[in-house]
Amino acid sequence: MKASTRTALLVATRTLLAAACVTLVVTARTTAGWDSLLVMLAALAGLLALLASYNRRFR
Amino acid sequence: MTTSATPPPAQRNGVSKAEPAPPAGRSRRGGGRSPVRRRADTRFVLLCLLPALVLFAVFMIVPTLNVFRMSFYTWSGFSPDMRFVGLDNFRALLDDRQFVRAFQNTVALLVVVTVVTTVMGLFLAALMTRQRLRGRNLYRFVLYVPNVLSVVVIAAIFSAVYDQENGLLNGALRLLSLDGLQQVWLGNQKIVLYSVAVAMVWQSLGYYMVLYMSSMASVPEELYEASALDGASPTRQFFALTLPLIWENLRTTLTFFIMSAVNLSFVLVRAMTGGGPDGSSEVLLSYMYKQAYTNSSYGYGMAIGVVIFAFSFLVSLLVSRATRREPLRY
Repeated sequence: MKASTRTALLVATRTLLAAACVTLVVTARTTAGWDSLLVMLAALAGLLALLASYNRRFR
Repeated sequence: MTTSATPPPAQRNGVSKAEPAPPAGRSRRGGGRSPVRRRADTRFVLLCLLPALVLFAVFMIVPTLNVFRMSFYTWSGFSPDMRFVGLDNFRALLDDRQFVRAFQNTVALLVVVTVVTTVMGLFLAALMTRQRLRGRNLYRFVLYVPNVLSVVVIAAIFSAVYDQENGLLNGALRLLSLDGLQQVWLGNQKIVLYSVAVAMVWQSLGYYMVLYMSSMASVPEELYEASALDGASPTRQFFALTLPLIWENLRTTLTFFIMSAVNLSFVLVRAMTGGGPDGSSEVLLSYMYKQAYTNSSYGYGMAIGVVIFAFSFLVSLLVSRATRREPLRY
């Protein structure tokens, strides 16, 4: 696989994952309860993990 | 450094094999001073710092410790009866459905407002800095004005915009024959929190845009010219050049977002909805305020305060760890 294709795939995957995490936060909020809160916190952790993985190559 | 201009004493006396000279700068910093003099200097520095340290302890450390202490008590806030209950307040939080709802709303605001404001702020800052827009000073002014206004004034403006009958939003929708899209923006449990989120974004967007613009403006133009010669598109330049070079600024603003999501949301919720309808727009701080000062459950309110402190601290720490990198010099 070409490096540019790999980079494009990586960017697309990260963008989709970030969008999925935000969607999860918004949808889980509609139900009140500890389960939904945990799902929201997991989505927040997912966003932070994505940020960390993006930042890793610059360290 | 001027210290290197003065030869060491051994050389001045004509001794060829002199003892190694002390490291440059040491003599200037007072490394050769007597211990008595050094102790006096330390005492002087501590004396100068003392007023600030006392103020910090009295107004920051003591109240914070007091919040932790009070979370182990049950107290109405006014009576002299204070009873130690251990972790009962925290146990009660586990069964409090309204607390969980407020926590969920805080997390939702934190994520939505941060993502939307960061993306829009970066986009607008890049547009204003890199593109030669006509009248960009006017746009900058218009976008920055909400930040100058008081949050309560912003709440009043948005309450008027969202008004069901005579509000700007529903009026505009009626004018465009989109009556089906009309909503009770601050009365619908499903959308009320996002109505508050829009006000939060509107209030803070200009501020973050100006912050990003200031760091983007300091990126040397030659870097953009060199990358353009290499065939980089504006998008590529943004991600490969601008973003890494303003990263420290971005890191700082992410921490600001966490603080503002917790603090600013309280004022807006309090002024716009009061936490309603039926607690659907309640956030952690407004719920804490309600418990501590309206419901006379001060200890319980402080237990919520401890949760807010722990949550904000943890998220700030994680963001700081996740975004840490070697600063680029150019």
